[in-house]
Amino acid sequence: MQDYLLLIRTEGDVWTDLSPQQLNEHIAKGTSYIGNLIKEGKLKSAAPLDVASKTTTDGNGTIKDGPFNETKEVIAGYFHIVAENMDEALEIAKANPIFSDIPTKIEVHQMRPIGG
Amino acid sequence: MTDRSVPKLVEHLFREQSGRLISVLTRIFGTENLDMAEDVVQDSLIEALRLWSSKGVPDNPAGWLFRVAKNKALNIVNREKYKRKYSSDIVHFLHSEWTAEPALNHIFSEQEILDDQLRMMFTCCHPSVSADSQVALTLKTLCGFTIPEIAKAFLTTEQNIKKRLVRARQKIRIEKVPFQVPSGNQLGARLQSVLETIYLLFNEGYSASKGNDVVRYELCEEAIRLSEIIAGYEKIEDKSDVFALLALMYLNASRFRSRSDDSGNILTMAEQDRSLWDPVFMRKGFFYLERSIAFNRLSMYHILATISAYHCAAADFASTDWKSILSLYDKLSEIDQSPLILLNRAIALSKVNGATEALAELKRIEQNPSIISYHLFYSTRAEFYLDLNDPGKAKESIEKAIALCPLEPERVLLRRKLELCK
Repeated sequence: MQDYLLLIRTEGDVWTDLSPQQLNEHIAKGTSYIGNLIKEGKLKSAAPLDVASKTTTDGNGTIKDGPFNETKEVIAGYFHIVAENMDEALEIAKANPIFSDIPTKIEVHQMRPIGG
Repeated sequence: MTDRSVPKLVEHLFREQSGRLISVLTRIFGTENLDMAEDVVQDSLIEALRLWSSKGVPDNPAGWLFRVAKNKALNIVNREKYKRKYSSDIVHFLHSEWTAEPALNHIFSEQEILDDQLRMMFTCCHPSVSADSQVALTLKTLCGFTIPEIAKAFLTTEQNIKKRLVRARQKIRIEKVPFQVPSGNQLGARLQSVLETIYLLFNEGYSASKGNDVVRYELCEEAIRLSEIIAGYEKIEDKSDVFALLALMYLNASRFRSRSDDSGNILTMAEQDRSLWDPVFMRKGFFYLERSIAFNRLSMYHILATISAYHCAAADFASTDWKSILSLYDKLSEIDQSPLILLNRAIALSKVNGATEALAELKRIEQNPSIISYHLFYSTRAEFYLDLNDPGKAKESIEKAIALCPLEPERVLLRRKLELCK
């Protein structure tokens, strides 16, 4: 088993675009998707992230507010999962119901183990 | 539903659901916060009592109770996120909006609740907790018994039970007892101590007329319920002892309701109306006995269950197969030389070889410290003297038994026997 970090990239504060009914349906799908991952022991943690973020480049105090207008792209949340290999991690990412409701990209990163 | 029936309903729900709820909540909070799990269940029930008394009982009271407990748990772990340490492997899911609900749905599913009760059994029966406290804690956390009820069951004070519970929780916290079913080569030995506690619990309930009969029968039912959970757990490969213990309990419990007459007097097995023996329990007993034998191993539970099966199989007391029962006691005394077993063996011996030989057997144990003040030793000896037409010596023995007997219903039975010594 390997650890993978899944970054959910969306554009702007996407949740506000959904109607209350759509949002409810979306939450129900997400609950069942995440529930299955927990049941199978594949999920270590997952959380949505605030749209507001700050970026620091180095120690000299330069802090920029984000998200950046050039792209409007934000990291809406993350999943820390375990999977046999990259293929399985990709399968898990693809099954995320977010794709059916919101324009999304999911980045799949393998977390480098000690000595790896 | 009237106001008056609400407390009754809550009491019933408490008995049925509190063990399940406390187990799940301990999964969330960790064994070091056992008291917190108990408090949440208590609070939820008080809330139910208050709300239902004024607004009526909801359609699915148990579901309502679980929902309230779920929300309380969620609030607590988020409010005390940084104040407490939680050893639980699941609590972090409750800190995130994405995972809280799916995680709660998962751990409150039927299968997980069963597994959590099993984990709870292994926690309560951890070797660092004394045997006395193991039973008290099992009754409190898994069976929904109140402190006064536990005190009554063990003929001791509430203060005493409270002390045992506090000590047990403390031990579990200090020893960092994990909330899990042990695996590998640890499982066998740990399972034994769980079974011993369940057996003790059953015996407390089964021992004749020690206080309230309703509570006592519930003790037996709980012992069976907990064993059924173990029997259903897939990862235990060798269930030979679990099945044998279940057989033993079902076969004995099948006679529970025939052991006293309508006015509460104890009846001996010869006097019991066998048509009152519960056929469903007997069937289950035989079913588990057969399954336990498939493992080809013989423990105390197997032998005791088989002895009980011989009694259940006999059409009446006179046609009891005492020869087979005696040979089972012979086997049992090879495993365990305890004087109580030898005492029971002597009864079988008297039926097979006569009372003279049985009396000689009793001579061998009469000086034993655990026998010397045990009333059943003397009432058994009296039976043997009666068999030998020696009412004088029988009377002497029964009088001694009456003097030593701690419980009134048993004394009534003994006085009835005294009549026969004239």
